[in-house]
Amino acid sequence: MNDFKWTWRGLSLLSIAATLLLITGFIYAAQDIMYPRGASYSADVPQPTAAPAEETGELKVAAVGDSLAKGTGDNTGEGFVRRAVAGLSAGGTRTELVGNLGINGLTTAGLRDKLKEEGVQYVLRQANIILVSIGGNDLFRGAQSMLNEAEGAAAAGQDAAEGSADSRIGTGASGRSDDSASGGAPAPGDGSTGNAALKDLTPEQLLADLPGASKRLEAILTAISEINPEARIYYIGLYNPFGDLREMLIPGNQAVTSWNAAAMDIINRNTRMTLVPTLDLFNGHLDKYLSSDHFHPNSDGYQRMADRIVQAVR
Amino acid sequence: MNSLLPLIRNECMKIIKKKRFYVILLILVVLVPMFTYAQMRSAERNREKFSSDWRLELQQQITDNENSLSSSRIPEEWKTYRRIFIQQMQYYLDHNVNPNEPSGVTFTREFLDNSISLFIPLMIMAVASDIVSGERTTGTIKMLLTRPVKRWKVLMSKLIALLMFVSLIIVSVFLVSYLISGLAFGYGGFNVPIFTGFQLSGDSVDMSAVHSVPQWEYMLMQCGLIWFVSIVVALLAFMVSVLFRSTAASIVVMMAALIAGTILTNMASAWTSAKYLFMVNLGLTNYLAGTPAPIEGMSLPFSIAVLGVWGIASIIISFAVFTKRDILN
Repeated sequence: MNDFKWTWRGLSLLSIAATLLLITGFIYAAQDIMYPRGASYSADVPQPTAAPAEETGELKVAAVGDSLAKGTGDNTGEGFVRRAVAGLSAGGTRTELVGNLGINGLTTAGLRDKLKEEGVQYVLRQANIILVSIGGNDLFRGAQSMLNEAEGAAAAGQDAAEGSADSRIGTGASGRSDDSASGGAPAPGDGSTGNAALKDLTPEQLLADLPGASKRLEAILTAISEINPEARIYYIGLYNPFGDLREMLIPGNQAVTSWNAAAMDIINRNTRMTLVPTLDLFNGHLDKYLSSDHFHPNSDGYQRMADRIVQAVR
Repeated sequence: MNSLLPLIRNECMKIIKKKRFYVILLILVVLVPMFTYAQMRSAERNREKFSSDWRLELQQQITDNENSLSSSRIPEEWKTYRRIFIQQMQYYLDHNVNPNEPSGVTFTREFLDNSISLFIPLMIMAVASDIVSGERTTGTIKMLLTRPVKRWKVLMSKLIALLMFVSLIIVSVFLVSYLISGLAFGYGGFNVPIFTGFQLSGDSVDMSAVHSVPQWEYMLMQCGLIWFVSIVVALLAFMVSVLFRSTAASIVVMMAALIAGTILTNMASAWTSAKYLFMVNLGLTNYLAGTPAPIEGMSLPFSIAVLGVWGIASIIISFAVFTKRDILN
């Protein structure tokens, strides 16, 4: 019985103490959530940690940019970034992927804003090889939306209206995705409307925004080289994903070439930058190297791009 | 009051003698090492992948979430959730604070966050479901009620004993998970800053009220919210225990309600009046962490009010039924 007494005393005291503590916590929490007092938290923001450069011989790869950097279309999900890393380590150099910050549908304007983020800058500072893939969405946004309509109209036939509406809804909802339509879709009639629209497409139309976009590209490359002056920057040139459409082959090639030339012009002025061309990798072989969305490369296409990058880095 | 105290003591002794509390401790001692091990493995894997730099890991997480935003196959609510997550992680990154700093304390914080809506209520039920119906199953209720004590006092003593054990259960969940996970992650980390006060409006986060609290303070608040939820669950289980003659039936009823709650929180965002059910309001710690509530229009005062109404109603029903009912067989 005495044993009981002590158990009871201990138990009651413990539980009363616990209850009081928990009630305090509850009141505190309710107060803190309902009447939060904002306070600035001053922590030391990560200092520029200069990348341990090539002396160690170790390559640290970071990638920024659009869906190509991310690897969209590659069944294995590796993309050219991981493939290039694999290729470089297979060649005997110790290579490490610091981070792949590719985001589907990113444009030059989007990337320029991204580079202001502390986290992105941190990743770039840790690297000594920076792969940049950007511009495709600036250049092909209009063409892609026209193509969507053309496909919707052609494929759906009678149900053209629905098909096109579907593709418009799909891309509209995705917002920042690659094929985001810029709205204002013409009412699809018989199947030829879309193709007719494509026929009128001129390189001038595709390149309407080139001066602005290339200025942003320059800002991006300069920003990256300011974030990490030690790193080598590899800009992945554009290819023409619409080469398999007769109407698009020539204007597309012309537009891509002008874009690449504009990029080359920027890159030539900086010794730590290199342009990795890809136009020739895909031209004439689109059926082999593009994935089923007719826009992104497939696994083999990414492998070819990665091989180019490995050659450029070594 | 004089006659109540021995009754409470009697009830506490019964709970201890029936070894319910030890069963709870045993469950914790078996399960927490499993969670700890799982957490340790994933931490190890991330360390390999990101060369032990949490900033790289966090940035990659942010990028991955941004990518999933552009997929049209993801429901809009998930996107909202992810947008908010991205903004919060961005905030941590901008302030150079690792939100997942591996330590026994962080593990405990996450464990408490995840156990508030199912695991801890389950532990509470282990004690509460049996407290009245158990006496009826064994027939000892007649012995109890033939004593010269008023019925409401008998029930009150049981209720108070239950509430005492609720506090003890929460404290022991905390202690067991801290002590065991500390073996793997270390016992430090009480002073790591945690941000709270993210105010959600639509899919953007208002950062103006964000402030940092040391982790121990955060956990005190967390345990306080868990305590409130547990009290309400205990009251409900108590009522069910009064209403049902068999312990098995009362456990099944409470279990069904709790599991329905987890299912509803995952899919009921369109059915807005579900927010008046107690089981979707159990995740009070979400308000602390700044995770969006499962149904629009829910806030901390709202949830506390809903839970409070359910709790008070169940006290009233328990006492009304228990004092009036004939005890047969």
